[in-house]
Amino acid sequence: MRAAVDLFVRRRMVNALNLGLAVAATLFGLFWLVWLLWTLLANGLPWLNLTVFTQITPPPGSAGGLRNAIVGSLMVTAIGVALGTPLGILAATYLSEFGRASRLTPVVRFVNDILLSAPSIILGVFVYEVVVLRMGHFSALAGGLALALIMLPVVVRTTEDMLRLVPDRMREAAAALGAPRWKVVTLVVYRAARAGIVTGILLGLARISGETAPLLFTALNNQFDSTSLDKPIANLPVVIFQFAMSPYADWHHLAWAGALLITLAILLLNILARLLLRAIRSGR
Amino acid sequence: MTEIPTLTYPNGLHATQGSQRGALHGLTRPTAVSDTKIAVRELDFHYGGYQALKGISLDIPARQVTAFIGPSGCGKSTLLRVFNRIYELYPGQRASGSVQLDGGDIFAREQHPNQLRAKVGMVFQQPTPFPMTVYDNIAFGVRMYERLSRARMAERVEWALRKAALWDEVKDKLRQTGTALSGGQQQRLCIARAIAVKPEVLLLDEPASALDPVSTLKIEELITELKRDYTIAVVTHNMQQAARVSDYTAFMYLGELIEFGDTRTLFTQPAQQATEDYITGRFG
Amino acid sequence: MSLVSTTEHTRLLLRRGLRIDGLFHGLSAAAAVLVLLVVFGVLAALLLGALPALQRFGFGFLISDAWNPVTDDFGALVAVFGTLVTSAIALCIAVPISFGIALFITQLAPAWLKQPVATAVELLAAIPSIIYGMWGLFVFAPRFAGHVQPWITDHLGQWPLLGPLFQGPPMGIGMFTAGLILAIMVIPFIAAVMRDVFDIVPAVLKESAYGLGATTWEVVWQVVLPYTRSAVIGGVMLGLGRALGETMAVTFVIGNAQRLDASLFMPGSTIASTLANEFTEATGELHTASLIALGLILFLITFVVLALARLMLLRLASRQGTVG
Repeated sequence: MRAAVDLFVRRRMVNALNLGLAVAATLFGLFWLVWLLWTLLANGLPWLNLTVFTQITPPPGSAGGLRNAIVGSLMVTAIGVALGTPLGILAATYLSEFGRASRLTPVVRFVNDILLSAPSIILGVFVYEVVVLRMGHFSALAGGLALALIMLPVVVRTTEDMLRLVPDRMREAAAALGAPRWKVVTLVVYRAARAGIVTGILLGLARISGETAPLLFTALNNQFDSTSLDKPIANLPVVIFQFAMSPYADWHHLAWAGALLITLAILLLNILARLLLRAIRSGR
Repeated sequence: MTEIPTLTYPNGLHATQGSQRGALHGLTRPTAVSDTKIAVRELDFHYGGYQALKGISLDIPARQVTAFIGPSGCGKSTLLRVFNRIYELYPGQRASGSVQLDGGDIFAREQHPNQLRAKVGMVFQQPTPFPMTVYDNIAFGVRMYERLSRARMAERVEWALRKAALWDEVKDKLRQTGTALSGGQQQRLCIARAIAVKPEVLLLDEPASALDPVSTLKIEELITELKRDYTIAVVTHNMQQAARVSDYTAFMYLGELIEFGDTRTLFTQPAQQATEDYITGRFG
Repeated sequence: MSLVSTTEHTRLLLRRGLRIDGLFHGLSAAAAVLVLLVVFGVLAALLLGALPALQRFGFGFLISDAWNPVTDDFGALVAVFGTLVTSAIALCIAVPISFGIALFITQLAPAWLKQPVATAVELLAAIPSIIYGMWGLFVFAPRFAGHVQPWITDHLGQWPLLGPLFQGPPMGIGMFTAGLILAIMVIPFIAAVMRDVFDIVPAVLKESAYGLGATTWEVVWQVVLPYTRSAVIGGVMLGLGRALGETMAVTFVIGNAQRLDASLFMPGSTIASTLANEFTEATGELHTASLIALGLILFLITFVVLALARLMLLRLASRQGTVG
């Protein structure tokens, strides 16, 4: 009897200890989040002013802003989205609609999931080899292409998941009215999954907005105001990297301001995507 | 006109190589009550390796309600899904044997399923309003076949909604999304959507099983109302419902047609022991 | 009568519909094939680019610790070593922490707290890696060097066996710092997988264990974890895949030294950081080819790790399919 009581107490203690550790682990994870965000605000907010948006990146020791980098980032990201989104949606359409019985489908799905987590710097090297070397120079276009390759698997994955949420009876009902396949997909299935597809695009956008590594070898950087697709282009992540690694205080300040800017944009995109997802779930 | 040449139907379906049977019936159509609309002969159906229908033969009379009853898994829904070839959406499902609509082979190579579905409409167990407005839900099917002016389309939408006994309830909600209607209204919307295409046959796959008793009653009244203009085939697991709404009843079991006859006879003096067991509830 | 024209129109529509159907089908299949082509294209491009280095150094490339652009002598050992060590450190920290977080979210947290905590942890994954790098270099490293590192070196540094791992001047940056930051970055990925799979354990399974008088911990450790084991390993591999290829954060804090050192507190380099630092400034064909060869090695390692991760995750999914 005594032994049984001891065992019981011991089990209770092990339980309490481990659950306590779980709480500690959660606090540990949240601790870094708070510290990171606090650092960003404390270092970035004082330098985030209007000139950041109106002036271009300065040489060391003089004042300036990030306008060319912001514009460049928007352009490169826009190229990435413009290429990655339609291709991703089409590929997802194959996986969930046309290619359901195809032997290709599980292979593509598997490879796509790998591409989803593949190191982005490798995709940068790939685009460098295929595009930058061919063209003979770095360019905004190459940067956009690298981002499109990162965006592609994100869109494929989320879009396919969302298309699969559309019940088959919806497709049957449209087909029973005599609608051809493409009308079933575009008018009914896409429309039913609309919010989910947008969520996927937002998540993909958030993912590529902060990508630095693939841009290092593709878009490179540009101290000047350039919006040419054919030339190297300034972009926030690479400018932040360069400025942060420099020994100059005002470059550091701009780097922090840019970092705050980029993080706010990404958090905003994430929140939007989450709200949409929640709306989808509660609408079901 | 004195001679009956090849029959041409409004939606381009040709009954050229149809059997004499159909042509003969065509001759006597105006007067004969038991004019055959769909003739099924030796129909087999396979899901992959599983045979779901075994040698089904029966004649579905025009402008009558034919009910299909039987325990779940007996093949009654499968049979219905052959009539508009909706099963073809899924690879691995195949039908063999003959099904003739007005004497025309529905499996004929030149018979495209989308055209067939203009003549054979279907309503499913779960209401399937498309994610668009009430108006667009109705117009969706019509646009597959006809190019109507705005005014003509509005007329058609109203006509279909009136026919489905829904007009009074939704005439102020035409621009609202179809998913906002109640379950019973959604189902009548789906019936209106099917009617709007002006089919000749309506397939109803357990149309009321997901609805409350009041909505069910409305659907049943509607079925009785609609049989003046349409040939109706309804699958139901509810025997009282079959007895209430149908003129003819087919009892199916394990993929075979056990008994087929006019509803009163089948329910009062079944010829087969299995039928009697089923309708008296002595069946699993 | 309009009946005839309707028929004509219908035929036209049907023919057009079939044509567009074919086109749409073809386009979507092409996009799906493109996904395959990208992956195999990456492999082919890396192989091609790495060829000069592979021809020159052969298999020895893998085991040479040389990295000298002046003498054109290159080897992958230092970068591969750094990549594996930092990822190993990351997993040692991230796995137990992620498990704790998943345990907290699925079993302990009151309903109102589950979603906020889960979202907060996921936000860690949304923060760009360059931010982790800046924070690590400017904020974390100085504090780590000033307060924590000396203490660790004084105490653990004297231990036999483990001691050499923690020796050296307190610089703040180095392989340990890189590993720690990687851990924070992969926690959200591992925790999300663990949380999702813990949630799909059938309630009856848990209830029958509770019914026998098991404690929460015993249910998690003896029922939930074994049930989800393959998917949990898959999640860990997924995190590993992320850690191996992470570039910017590591580049900021690892010190970028091309040398082997037993101490985790000494600077080193990973494949990704070497690429980020040297690729655009590489002088000479052999230097570039060697960098691409590093990239090839990284791609192959992550490909295998991620493929294993997917297979592990699919295993639970398929069992779910047959059981549920």
